[in-house]
Amino acid sequence: MSEFLNENPDILEENQLPSRKEDNTKDLLLGGFSKEATLERRRLLLKIDHSLKSQVLQDIETLDKLLSIETAPEMTSDEESLLEETEEEFVAGQRKEEEEADVIDAQEIYDLIAHISDPEHPLSLGQLSVVNLEDIEVHDSGNQEEMAEVVIRITPTITHCSLATLIGLGIRVRLERSLPPRFRITILLKKGTHDSENQVNKQLNDKERVAAACENEQLLGVVSKMLVTCK
Amino acid sequence: MTPDKLNSAIVTFMANLNIDESRANEAALVVSESIVHRSVKLLEVVVALKDHFLSENEIERKKALTCLSTVLTKTPNDHLSKNECSVIFQFYKSKFDDQALVKEVLEGFAALAPMKFVSINEITQLLRLLLDSYQQGQHLASTRLLPFKILKNIFDRFFTNASSMEQVKRINDLFIETFLHIANGEKDPRNLLLSFALNESITSKLQNVENFKEDLFDVLFCYFPITFKPPKHDPYKISNQDLKTALRSAITATPLFAEDAYSNLLDKLTASSPVVKNDTLLTLLECVRKFGGSSILANWKLLWNALKFEIIQNSEGTENTLLNPYNKHQSSDDMGQYTNYDACLRILNLMGLQLYDFEKVSFEKFFTHVLDELKPNFEYEKDLKQTCQILSAIGSGNIEIFNEVVSSTFPLFLTNTSEIAKLKLLIMNLSFFFDSYIDLFGRISKESLKSSVPNNKMAEYKDEIIMLLSMALTSSSKSEVTIRTLSVIQFTKMIRMKGFLSPEEVSLIIQYFTETILTDNNKNIYYACLEGLKTISEIYEDLVFEISLKKLLDLLPDSYGEKVRVNNEENIQIETILKIILDFTTSRHILVKESISYLATKLNRVAKVSKSKEYCFLLISTIYSLFNNNQNENVFKEEDALALKRAIEPKLLEIVTQESTIVDDNYNLTLLSNVLFFINFKVPQSMHQEELDRYNKHFLYEGEIGILDAPNILAIPYVKILSALNKACQFPQKLTILVEAAQLLKSHGPKMIETEKLGYLELLLVLSNKFVSEDDVIGLLDWEDLSHINLEIMVWLTKGLIMQNSLKSPDIIKNFIDLLSNQDIGPLVAKLFEVFVMDISSLKKFKGINWNNNVKILYKQKFFCDIFQMIVNNYKNTVDMTIKCNYLTALSLVLKHTSSQSVGPFINDLFPLLLQALDMPDSEVRVSALETLKDTTDKHHNLITEHISTIVPLLLSLVLLEKYNSVSVRFIALQILERITTVVPLNYCLSYQDDVLNGLIPVLSDKKRMIRKQCIDTRQVYYELGQIPFE
Repeated sequence: MSEFLNENPDILEENQLPSRKEDNTKDLLLGGFSKEATLERRRLLLKIDHSLKSQVLQDIETLDKLLSIETAPEMTSDEESLLEETEEEFVAGQRKEEEEADVIDAQEIYDLIAHISDPEHPLSLGQLSVVNLEDIEVHDSGNQEEMAEVVIRITPTITHCSLATLIGLGIRVRLERSLPPRFRITILLKKGTHDSENQVNKQLNDKERVAAACENEQLLGVVSKMLVTCK
Repeated sequence: MTPDKLNSAIVTFMANLNIDESRANEAALVVSESIVHRSVKLLEVVVALKDHFLSENEIERKKALTCLSTVLTKTPNDHLSKNECSVIFQFYKSKFDDQALVKEVLEGFAALAPMKFVSINEITQLLRLLLDSYQQGQHLASTRLLPFKILKNIFDRFFTNASSMEQVKRINDLFIETFLHIANGEKDPRNLLLSFALNESITSKLQNVENFKEDLFDVLFCYFPITFKPPKHDPYKISNQDLKTALRSAITATPLFAEDAYSNLLDKLTASSPVVKNDTLLTLLECVRKFGGSSILANWKLLWNALKFEIIQNSEGTENTLLNPYNKHQSSDDMGQYTNYDACLRILNLMGLQLYDFEKVSFEKFFTHVLDELKPNFEYEKDLKQTCQILSAIGSGNIEIFNEVVSSTFPLFLTNTSEIAKLKLLIMNLSFFFDSYIDLFGRISKESLKSSVPNNKMAEYKDEIIMLLSMALTSSSKSEVTIRTLSVIQFTKMIRMKGFLSPEEVSLIIQYFTETILTDNNKNIYYACLEGLKTISEIYEDLVFEISLKKLLDLLPDSYGEKVRVNNEENIQIETILKIILDFTTSRHILVKESISYLATKLNRVAKVSKSKEYCFLLISTIYSLFNNNQNENVFKEEDALALKRAIEPKLLEIVTQESTIVDDNYNLTLLSNVLFFINFKVPQSMHQEELDRYNKHFLYEGEIGILDAPNILAIPYVKILSALNKACQFPQKLTILVEAAQLLKSHGPKMIETEKLGYLELLLVLSNKFVSEDDVIGLLDWEDLSHINLEIMVWLTKGLIMQNSLKSPDIIKNFIDLLSNQDIGPLVAKLFEVFVMDISSLKKFKGINWNNNVKILYKQKFFCDIFQMIVNNYKNTVDMTIKCNYLTALSLVLKHTSSQSVGPFINDLFPLLLQALDMPDSEVRVSALETLKDTTDKHHNLITEHISTIVPLLLSLVLLEKYNSVSVRFIALQILERITTVVPLNYCLSYQDDVLNGLIPVLSDKKRMIRKQCIDTRQVYYELGQIPFE
């Protein structure tokens, strides 16, 4: 029982929170390159000089640009053919992008909620280990037509933490604003971490009560204050 | 001067007084000049004023006396005879009883006091008069100023030169008493400044001060700590700091004040306001500095207790400031910059030094006491930081003190420990003593390398310290980031200590740093090591080259797949090695040169291995960056370039022409050609002609290349080299080459590889910009031939002219704009407009160099101005949507490369076009229009507010996953939506709140994570719109 307790959490530094391991260079480059080779080269460059302003990178960009002007398929001025092409290319483009889609995973959920401030500490939920990466489950088929689900188990710092409901509400508001509507969000207390676990769980996932809470200006203000630190 | 004239001057003066000061002054000047020329006597002036003096009217009497005083002020000090002085003096004295005239009388006295023939008797009378009959509390500030002036004049006349010693004795005490009388209760800042200055003069120059020291001190210290907020439009421009400094300097003027000063100041130190505390501490510091050892001896216990309390209670800075020490070290000796904490330490430092200089025994007493009190802190590890700071501050007094401090302190804490926490503390504490060493012996510099430092105790502990630090660095686990970083920082600090480390020890440290930077992924440690290596290279560039750089370079394998190992355990990436080389060689002459030379040799070997394109690319990029980042003259001298050229150019030319890893790779070929550009750019200009001839033969006429005979990709290195050479070189074949290249393009163009074609087009550009004359270029433009290849040729030729701001370019551009309305080729021409404004790095302007090309810095702005109105007009006059589209495309592509400042003036005309460009079926056009819109959002709030009803729906359509809405389009559109809330008034934004929140729901399921992220941020901002902040 006691092993679940989070009474004196080791406070983690911001940079010790779990984060996406893969480099962010792709994001830095804003994507949108047709040629995989080009992208690979740029990624190599960023490894030796991590700045988007380096002359080498700019030169490479200029070169690509110039080459693409020269090769640019002639733009047909005929609007109809343009439309036809559109359909085809769009579908093709769709498929292409499909391949490199980033799925919504536990890490993404974690990033969304880990930076929420604790209502009574100047620290974030991630730092206090109230939310943990391994306690987040995402069930998503990737199909836009199907329902998906996120289950989050939170660990209050003390078993009688009176603010567990508020923390849960904060997480819920954050996720409802951030996830597509097809996601069902379930927030539970981690087993054995709270004296009145069942009651709190019930309250956290009761639509009516959540909706009522969000109508309360003052409560919403508190939640907003918790969300200010989100990144 | 006749009596009439005198009278009229007097009347003029009195009439203009307080009305037209300059005319009044003129009149007074006329009179005083007449007195100087002896055409009128002072007594005659008095007689002429007599009626006015006797007037019933108070104002008239005032004016009359002012007139006389003004004339006196303007009369030279040695002009009036003894008799005249005496008469006038008595006259003024008689007027002193007239309450209305006090100010004018004082003015007169102020003018008389410095006069040569006013006797000491009269001065005595004057002082008496001031002491007995002058009531300072009854007058305005401007009147109260005058007695100070009088005293100042008297002081300057009698007390500053030794000749008047005898007389001075007679008035010495009286002078002090008078001063105390007039200074009492003063509160005007201007008068106070004088009062403080006089007080200082008295205590430092007069005799018998001892009898008056309490009063003199009280009349000063009652103002402490002084604060003054200058009113607006203060004509005297007195600042709070002026008053503080004057007061401080007066308080510390004489050791006689020491006792009072110390006890009173220590009293004030208990104040809670940090400003008061600061003033007090700085004054104490001055006291310690000026009063000398004996006074400290009497007071050190009090001082020590007060300061110890201050320091222990108010530690500044945390572990973090220690970990990032690099911005802190520039503190100058400026008084104002001391923080309270620094000031305390500085006082302790001076106390030690002063005591030592005064009497060695008393220093011993002081130091033993301090050490005894602080010793327990080491035992209980309590307030260790402050303790060490105190001890090291005392230590930096002089070398003997330093030795004593080190030998009695180091044994207390310098012990070998394996406990991480203890070790961390130990290293942090050591750091203060390093600082104290640097304070005492100075920082290392190239010049000071030879000079040695006297023997000192710290040197005895050197081995132990190095051992401790290296243990902290090498044997603690990688996760102990703090202690490893600390160790690197302290090593770096030791390097800075003059005459401390031997070259062997420095070598050892370089080796530690190199291994650490290679094997540790932590960012803090990386930067600490980098900083360390840079610091060492400032002094020991050779050592760094031998021990670090060579090792790094030798680690590079011959093929990409090979594993790199350091210390038999790590698997190091080639990229990491190259990054380190790039980062730490910057601006170091030898390092840069050697790196380039070595990497080029390596490249020559690697290029011959098949499938090594990526590795070649990395090496080339590194060489190129090394050249590019070290443009500075001091790093790259002509002789270096020459040496490099000899050493590496043949190797590079060899692979550029022969190896498929280079020739068949666009990036490798282009970048390596740019490297060739730099090599040739830097060689002495006298060689350019020779080189041009040589390259012409190599690429054009002799050998197997012959780029003008058939399409050849080696046109690229040729054109880059050509860009580097002096534009004034003799180049008779230039026009032929231009014509032939154009011909080659026309005949082979459609079949050429794109890169090849680009090489030839750039050749046209370089020739048209720097060699061939405008007219010849224009002659080559063929407006009849509308084939794609000819259009491209013309665009590149014209670009050469545009880049030199040619007067003829606007006409040519007009032709291109006309072509935009061509149904067939319009879209292509629109795309080609971007070429006009794209920067080519080998045709860049370098600072201070104008011989390499004819590129003008502001050419893009000029081009934009030239085309903007034309395009807008044409756009308005067209109905055909596809043609409109061409105009918009051309315009937004140009915009993409134009700085937002130069677009500013056109924004009102541009804005409607911008919004339409957002609808264009081309993602690049959209990106460019969005970028401009983003700038506009930041700068033209009203414009955005006005059009908000159009912008928001438009942006909401751009965030959706559709064709032409590329990742960049969606991303920037979301950013602009977010930014709008900060520039558009809330009441406007609120009406779009629901639209945006709902409109962005589909975006939450965007495929790209970064889009989702931005979407969430944008939505959050809209959720919070108008919400009452909760506190």
